[in-house]
Amino acid sequence: MEVADVTKFLAETTPFDQLDAPALGHLSSHIKVYYHQAQDHVSISSERLLIVRTGIFSLYSDQQHLLTKLQSGDFYGYQQLLTGLTDNDTLVCDEDGLVYWLDAAAFHQCRYQYKNIDIFFQRLFSRRLHQYREQQQSSRFTLKISDIVQQRKIAIRPEQSVQAAAKLMSDSRVSSLLVEEHDKLVGIVTDRDLRNRVLALGLPASTQVSQVMTRQPQHIDRHAYLYEAVQKMSQHNIHHLPVLEQGVCCGMLTATDIIRSQQDHPVYLIGEIHRQTSVDGLERCSQQISSLAITLSKQQVPAYEAGHIITTVTDALTQRLIYLAQQQLGEPPCVFSWLAFGSQARMDQSLNADQDNALLLEKEPVGEIGDYFSALAEFVCHGLAQCGITLCPGNIMATNSELRLSLKGWSGRFARWIATPTPDALLKASIFFDLRVIDGSKGLFNALQQDILQRTAQAPLFLYHLAQAALQRTAPLGFFKNFILEQDGKHKKGLDLKKRGISLITDLVRVYALSAGIYEVNTRRRLHQLAIQAEMDSKDCQNLNDAFDLLAQLRWEKHQHDLQQGHDVTNLLDPMEISGLARHQLKDSFAVINDAQASLKHRFCRDM
Amino acid sequence: MMLSWLWRKNTALSAVVDNFSKTALPNAATAVQQAPFLVLDFELTGLNPKKDHIVSMGWVPVRQQEIVLSEARHYLISSPVSVGQSAVYHGLHDHQLKQGQDLAVVLTELLTQYAGYVFVAHHSGLDEQFLRVACQRCFGKTPRFKFIDTMKMEWQRLLRQGKVVKHDALKLPNCLKRHGLPDMANHHALEDAYSSALLLLSQLKLGGNNMTLGDLYLLSR
Repeated sequence: MEVADVTKFLAETTPFDQLDAPALGHLSSHIKVYYHQAQDHVSISSERLLIVRTGIFSLYSDQQHLLTKLQSGDFYGYQQLLTGLTDNDTLVCDEDGLVYWLDAAAFHQCRYQYKNIDIFFQRLFSRRLHQYREQQQSSRFTLKISDIVQQRKIAIRPEQSVQAAAKLMSDSRVSSLLVEEHDKLVGIVTDRDLRNRVLALGLPASTQVSQVMTRQPQHIDRHAYLYEAVQKMSQHNIHHLPVLEQGVCCGMLTATDIIRSQQDHPVYLIGEIHRQTSVDGLERCSQQISSLAITLSKQQVPAYEAGHIITTVTDALTQRLIYLAQQQLGEPPCVFSWLAFGSQARMDQSLNADQDNALLLEKEPVGEIGDYFSALAEFVCHGLAQCGITLCPGNIMATNSELRLSLKGWSGRFARWIATPTPDALLKASIFFDLRVIDGSKGLFNALQQDILQRTAQAPLFLYHLAQAALQRTAPLGFFKNFILEQDGKHKKGLDLKKRGISLITDLVRVYALSAGIYEVNTRRRLHQLAIQAEMDSKDCQNLNDAFDLLAQLRWEKHQHDLQQGHDVTNLLDPMEISGLARHQLKDSFAVINDAQASLKHRFCRDM
Repeated sequence: MMLSWLWRKNTALSAVVDNFSKTALPNAATAVQQAPFLVLDFELTGLNPKKDHIVSMGWVPVRQQEIVLSEARHYLISSPVSVGQSAVYHGLHDHQLKQGQDLAVVLTELLTQYAGYVFVAHHSGLDEQFLRVACQRCFGKTPRFKFIDTMKMEWQRLLRQGKVVKHDALKLPNCLKRHGLPDMANHHALEDAYSSALLLLSQLKLGGNNMTLGDLYLLSR
């Protein structure tokens, strides 16, 4: 027996207005009515559809941004009903009101029975993703994998049958499974695999999963940023990424998860880059970088994250240029790794960064191989220059034939630096010790990195000189804790935030990292790892990390300021232009650097 | 023969009342959020329980402060005189009562399904009197009902706010308006029961989180 008020309301509410009276009556009998008072938090954990009857409700994101207001005839909870995923949104009652709760069962029955109602909610769902992008901008840059991946691991053993896999997928309503053996990830299997590698080939249902799975799949760390996953997916054209934490698999990230979390992340710029078919196209994409930087800054994205994002874009440009070069030059004659040094390697690129790159080759660069990679380097470096990443004045680029070496060649060069270090040579070479593979063979690169770290960890003389080099410059803090200003060519006074700030930290952290054989190159991650391995006092690590963040932040803001004023971007900051608090913090940061340099000296230069 | 038939019938019928009486209500210290309520409304032929009759009955239960529409009921009562006693017991259908349900059948459903519920009505005194008379007629005895009155609660609330309460301010449509609730009250037993249930939800919210059933009884006096 239906309550006329409820049925009447449903009959006037899209999409239920298309139902006939008996269907409306049926629907209304599956409703529970609740009254909310202002300030009430609506409990939206349970699986049912909320229909606002009266009152006003505010929907907040997990970052407490107001997403939207719901009023009479609006819905909530369909996201969860459609996807089975929980939102971290909160719904708060602004103005007393009645809500109808419709059972999940009745909701689904209605969707199955009436296609239009299903379509309505599907559209509402996609519009919601769209509609919230303006408000959610600040969070979408900084989303990490851990923010969106479900803490739900659905795994199967390799010796199980594909039928068992299919059943598990359909029971858990997922499109892919992790394949694990003794708690170790050995592969993944997707519903596409079941179609293409089982059904299409007429394999029996008893076929073992191990026969059809993708072995050694690409994967991503749980603490990586989301756009890194986007990048990985578009680079390898895959839709599923196992997520690892401390090397242990903890779940699966799918392209759908990402789309769901941020329909249009501006680092879809990366996706766009990977779709370009010409250098001119890439140049057009790269023109968006400065507007991206402005957006990042407007949204107060922390500088280190902005640096990370900008580096990711440079990586994508490089990768695409390498791809385009290969389209033009043909398949490479041997395996290679494209290396980046310095800030690109450390993932803290700023807007005025220039190129620092090189090539690591499987074979000696002679004859045809030499010619091929010379042409490739020429194409990529000039392409990057066209995209606004200026050529390196120090000629640290893959176009320099001295920087296109085989593993043996590179290994020999590093060995020389490490075995017979001279302070001068090291000052120039320190940049080479921050290196990262951008494209090509990871294995080849790993071999080189392993080789380097094995040497550095057991080379006190090298570490001594590296530390000496790191100590050549000091923070611009005078005896009475006053700033020591320096002048640039145009007689402008200021503090060089890079040379006498950020670089000092980068340099001294590098010494510790190389001595401890740490693979990380990002300064913050190195610090994190140093603290974990107790190579450095964790408090000191934290202080250095904070100082690093502050300096990076000031430099980032300075660059933004320069851009807005139409000046050249410089690292020279006039301390009178910043707030008293920031000045105070800046002094603290310099003091932290002084202390850290003293410790460095004590640790590595004592015995010499 | 005839006497034993009556005796058996009486036991069985009064069992409905006995079972209802035996089922304990939640105690007075129960938080209102936890208590199960049944909100009722009757349409009557007049206001005198001795002379007049129930024409229709509507009710909806409220559990965990949610109105459960799947259990909303509305019955037209076929005959004011309880011809239906025997019909209940024998399961006989009185085909002459085409218009609606037998009062005893409806009362049996009410008392069996909602034993242990706190009954609620707007201006409950009247509904309670009619219910008692009806039970007496149908079952030969009547249970003790415990009613909460949304009208008295509203009256108390307004008094406490220091307002002068005009005589029709407590009518259901005016109460609904005051609470910003959809005004559907239209002398239809189920619609009015539903409207009273909305009023109850609002009143429970306004009472705050610490309100107990005991507090509601006090406010309903």
